Amino acid sequence: MDEEYDAIVLGTGLKECIISGMLSVSGKKVLHVDRNKYYGGESASICPLEELFTKFGANAPDESYGRGRDWNVDLIPKFLMANGSLVKLLIHTGVTRYLEFKSVEGSYVFKGGKIAKVPVDQKEALASDLMGMFEKRRFRNFLTYVQDFMQDDPKTWKDFDPTTQNMTALYEKFGLDKNTQDFTGHALALYRDDDYLNRPALDTITRIKLYSDSLAKYGKSPYLYPMYGLGELPQGFARLSAIYGGTYMLDKPIDEIVLGEGGRAVGVRSGNEIAKCKQIYCDPTYVPDRVRKKGKVIRCICLLDHPISNTKDALSTQIIIPQKQVGRNSDIYVSLVSHTHQVAAKGWFIGMVSTTVETDNPENEIKPGLDLLGPVRQKFVSVSDYYEPIDDGLQSQIFISQSYDATSHFESTCLDVLDIFKRGTGEEFDFSKIKRDLDLEEQ
Amino acid sequence: MAMVKVPEQKVILCGEYGVGKSSIFRRFTNNTFVTATDRKSTLGLDNFDKIYRIGDRNIKLQLWDTGGMERVASITSSYYKFSEAAILVFSLDNPSSFHTLSQHLLDIVTYAETAKIFLCGNKTDLVTEPPQISDAEIESFCEQCHSLITNTYRISCKTNEGIEEMFTDIAYQLVNSNRARLELQSMEKHGFKITQSTEELSDDSCLC
Ligand SMILES: Cc1cc2nc3c(=O)[nH]c(=O)nc-3n(C[C@H](O)[C@H](O)[C@H](O)COP(=O)(O)OP(=O)(O)OC[C@H]3O[C@@H](n4cnc5c(N)ncnc54)[C@H](O)[C@@H]3O)c2cc1C
Ligand SMILES: Nc1nc2c(ncn2[C@@H]2O[C@H](COP(=O)(O)OP(=O)(O)OP(=O)(O)O)[C@@H](O)[C@H]2O)c(=O)[nH]1
Ligand SMILES: [Mg+2]
Repeated sequence: MDEEYDAIVLGTGLKECIISGMLSVSGKKVLHVDRNKYYGGESASICPLEELFTKFGANAPDESYGRGRDWNVDLIPKFLMANGSLVKLLIHTGVTRYLEFKSVEGSYVFKGGKIAKVPVDQKEALASDLMGMFEKRRFRNFLTYVQDFMQDDPKTWKDFDPTTQNMTALYEKFGLDKNTQDFTGHALALYRDDDYLNRPALDTITRIKLYSDSLAKYGKSPYLYPMYGLGELPQGFARLSAIYGGTYMLDKPIDEIVLGEGGRAVGVRSGNEIAKCKQIYCDPTYVPDRVRKKGKVIRCICLLDHPISNTKDALSTQIIIPQKQVGRNSDIYVSLVSHTHQVAAKGWFIGMVSTTVETDNPENEIKPGLDLLGPVRQKFVSVSDYYEPIDDGLQSQIFISQSYDATSHFESTCLDVLDIFKRGTGEEFDFSKIKRDLDLEEQ
Repeated sequence: MAMVKVPEQKVILCGEYGVGKSSIFRRFTNNTFVTATDRKSTLGLDNFDKIYRIGDRNIKLQLWDTGGMERVASITSSYYKFSEAAILVFSLDNPSSFHTLSQHLLDIVTYAETAKIFLCGNKTDLVTEPPQISDAEIESFCEQCHSLITNTYRISCKTNEGIEEMFTDIAYQLVNSNRARLELQSMEKHGFKITQSTEELSDDSCLC
């Protein structure tokens, strides 16, 4: 440990692992440390099942749960959008070669007390029971407009300026009713509140296009999920970093960040060892005095021995409960993965309900989501604070990532990472660089 | 972006640092040997494919190196996933690399349950008389492992002794044991890799 590095990265969560990989690839000498003895921090998938039960202080699982080792349970639920930025990052870094994916089978939205499949193309829209006959026509016209829309070709804008006119105006142009607006905004454009209605329509159009482009890639839904769970993602980036020379240390408590002149970080201390460095990259848990609380998120992991009703027994699904449907300010997300992804024993399913906390009784807030799951064999609830850094790190050279909030998804993950990289190195990450190197290596 | 089924047989190298895993990898990829043993010599080694012809069948071995993670930390469990075979390497001149094999073996059976395991003693050129690790010791280790070990090899990366033979035999063992499995493998059980379609390759390298 007693050596000098260009950068020390603390924590092996997804963001830190991506950053570590990008720094190593850019030729920096990196030391990557975690206080835990496993990779992934909060983005780890817990295995075996016994460990999950222990973590939440529950009695050990009985034999009906099958082999504990067949389980890999994510602590933070997410899917990847097939055409989204995390997938692009995976492709550009070559990390995709370490992973295998399955498409998520269905995407549903909650409306009027029950769930309905999110219609994604004109054919599905016409068959959907989310809308009446005339509304279907209008929605179809709207989808056609979005699909034909090209940002650099104003002819396709059809007398509407999406850079100045807001989304409400676009909905009005097509005469879409409130219900249709609701699932379009929340289940297709994936907004978590209604602020987007008053902003220029361009962002929403882009998101809906992303949704349908992603869908076009693999069929059943626009979402992908990695075999063996999300914990494979940070590990893939950690391998990238190691391949390019990054040094890994686990199970290493960090006692202090050593500061030098002007409050600049010059190293980290663990016991009486000190590793010197020019910069530090870390998650909020390593620097409690340099972050502030931004909000709270509740997540509930549910172990089920059956699929979710009305999803055609899908082995994986996402259900979005738009805020308005249940009188809230933020959406509730329900996701389901199962034995088919090697994250649960045969015949088992893992449901996850999550949302941003709005009241003093968060467990009550997720009830609409839990109700959709049906009988739950075992439930683990966690409420966690999420944090953001108090400054940009330029002065201290300590660059801190934001916590994974309920509202956090892989898009914000990638944006945060790219932004941190840029602040830390003063340059944009050069994606073309790695791709070329890896190509060479493959010859 | 097509769904690509992965026909390669992933073969991973396991064992203490310094036993010669990267050297085996280098022999496999471009049949070279380097004596330097600094961290740098392992840089950039990831995985490499090579096709072996066994009887009337082709099989593609895809060899993976650890990336040197085992130096201080443990190897990620991901490394083991989807592997069909693991080469458990020790150094014939280094008894401690032999005595710690059981830990590596445990990792393999934990994270790559179905992988076939091959034991490989490297650096035959450094074996003295009497040998630092006796044949009896190696045999008794294999017995203790309840025949988890499919075969044992002695090689030298320096002299190139036994290396081609080892890989050919591994290919042969995999073809035989997998004959049925290879044919049955379906998208059902496996996921797919994300690959880049040609049209996207031409697209710029911007993330937005
Ligand atoms: C179990 C579960 C819980 C979820 N919880 C939440 C949640 O609490 N809050 C939430 O907002 N989403 C939530 N989602 C939605 C989900 O995280 C993301 O919308 C989806 O994963 C996007 O995948 P991606 O990041 O790979 O694609 P992205 O990379 O995000 O897609 C790229 C483009 O999509 C747009 N985009 C897509 N979704 C969003 C979004 N939600 N916010 C901003 N931009 C977006 C971005 O503009 C970006 O340019 C949840 C999903 C699941 C399955
Ligand atoms: N004499 C001799 N030396 C060898 C042989 N194989 C490898 N070495 C040397 O052993 C040292 C370690 O080899 P590596 O291939 O780097 O070992 P590794 O297991 O990949 O180790 P790390 O990457 O450092 O974890 C190097 O100095 C090699 O030159 C061999 O067959 N004979
Ligand atoms: Mg090596």
